[in-house]
Amino acid sequence: MRRHLLLVPLLLLAAPPPPPLGAQTIQNATLRRAQEAYDNLDYRQALTLARTAQRERLNGFDRARDYELLAFTYSAMDSILRAVDAFKEVISLEPERDLDPTRTSPKVLSAFQVALTQVLVVRQLRVDSTDFVGGQGAVAIRYTVTQPARVVTRILGGQAPLKIDSAVANGQVNLRWQARLASGDPVPAGSYTVVVEATVGQNNFSASQPIRVTHGAVDTLPHLLSLPGYDYLPETEIPPKSWKPMGLALVYSGIALAGTSALSQGDLGSASFREAEVIGGGLMVAGFVVMLRKPAPQPARGNILYNRLLREQLARRNAEIAQDNIRRRQQVALRVVPTPRTGGGR
Amino acid sequence: MKAVFALVACLPTALSAQHGTVGAHAAFGDYREVSSDLHYRGSGGGLTASFTFKKLGIEGSVTGITYDPITGSSGTASFKATQLDVRVRYYIAGPVSAEVGFVNRKMKPEFEAQSVGAVRLGARMSYPLGPGVNMGLRGGMLFGSKFSGGGTVSGVGALELGLNMAVDALRGRLRLTGDYDFQRMARTTNGGGGDVPVPIQQALGRIGLAVAF
Repeated sequence: MRRHLLLVPLLLLAAPPPPPLGAQTIQNATLRRAQEAYDNLDYRQALTLARTAQRERLNGFDRARDYELLAFTYSAMDSILRAVDAFKEVISLEPERDLDPTRTSPKVLSAFQVALTQVLVVRQLRVDSTDFVGGQGAVAIRYTVTQPARVVTRILGGQAPLKIDSAVANGQVNLRWQARLASGDPVPAGSYTVVVEATVGQNNFSASQPIRVTHGAVDTLPHLLSLPGYDYLPETEIPPKSWKPMGLALVYSGIALAGTSALSQGDLGSASFREAEVIGGGLMVAGFVVMLRKPAPQPARGNILYNRLLREQLARRNAEIAQDNIRRRQQVALRVVPTPRTGGGR
Repeated sequence: MKAVFALVACLPTALSAQHGTVGAHAAFGDYREVSSDLHYRGSGGGLTASFTFKKLGIEGSVTGITYDPITGSSGTASFKATQLDVRVRYYIAGPVSAEVGFVNRKMKPEFEAQSVGAVRLGARMSYPLGPGVNMGLRGGMLFGSKFSGGGTVSGVGALELGLNMAVDALRGRLRLTGDYDFQRMARTTNGGGGDVPVPIQQALGRIGLAVAF
């Protein structure tokens, strides 16, 4: 039982090195045998074969696998310093190499992390693909530098290299590049390379990411015919039927008759109301007819004011759009897309 | 009459924010002078013209009426009254307009009744009863009255009162008009024995048809 318990950490350590990125397989026969020995927990044999393989001609992939196998084997044999050294070689050969924390023992992971801090590399250089209007946006660039170093980020591929950042950095760095030339104009369309160069003393490392910049026209805005959510209101409204016309005709006629009576000269006898009655009667008939008729539409002052404000607002918005369109026609839409890398960094 | 034709001829029809009318009317009236014994009634006709430009309005009419003494009147002969009315109106606020103008009434035969001329000053209240239907009430004073037989009128002795209406037809091209005009002049003469009251009073109704332009 006790023997079985001791075997558990050994089995964890013996977990095979995670498969490398891509579908490449080990070409070297000795290295394959070393891998098999490691898988069979025969660490001494694995170590011997891995060292033997180092003296043979290995391609870059096999060489990185060889050092990685050494690192795992040293870790299994508790030779942490040697494991770290082996991982440093792996990282130098494949800076983007990462171990799967769910499948790798903590001892190996810690050796790998220690190795990362002892090698100057720029890893995980990423450029986000993006669209933006020249001068109004930026391209996000991020990378990780494993040691405190002077890091200079440049864009190559144009007429002259553009230095976009220079700083002492350690760990993850986030940059934003506005894709503009020194003059402020947008960079011409074409292929560029983002190069990140880290330097500490005599050591330096650079990583690159090719990108492609294309130009397009900035969309102009259409003029508005109405403001969304705001409709014009009717500028006239039909008031309800009213007795007011008849009443007013009655009042005016009454005033005329009463005035005639009041102004009449007493010496001249009783006043003649015939003329006033005829005209006043006609007026009352007109008032009665108007009272029965459908009232004429009356201006709706509130609605007129509302519509005027709406028209002013619409005109103001369209003037802004016209102004904006003038500016947009002078602008250029930039599309920045990262393209596949052709090789690693050094 | 000449003044009305001149007025109509001068109307600048091509201008906007203005409108005018020219029309004819039938008139009927009641005329009293000196005492209740001199009482006449008559009828006739005339011409009317008006012109409005922004706040300013001008209207004139000339009316001829043949007055006959009523039964029981001490008057023995008929006479013809030709009355010229000119009013210039200026809109003030709300329904109120100020009005100035003059009235000139000539009698024929000359000595059957008093010819009179006076300057008028008053106000008018206009109100639209409905679409194309307007009415107005006016009142004013007559100043500087001159009579063919002499005599004077005190400051507030000559008053007038009016009621008018207008009904548009044919989309405003035709206008039916009605106008009531009452004048009272507390005229006095000095016959040597002191002031003698010889008042004049006329009620005039006019119903007409006008063409608007």
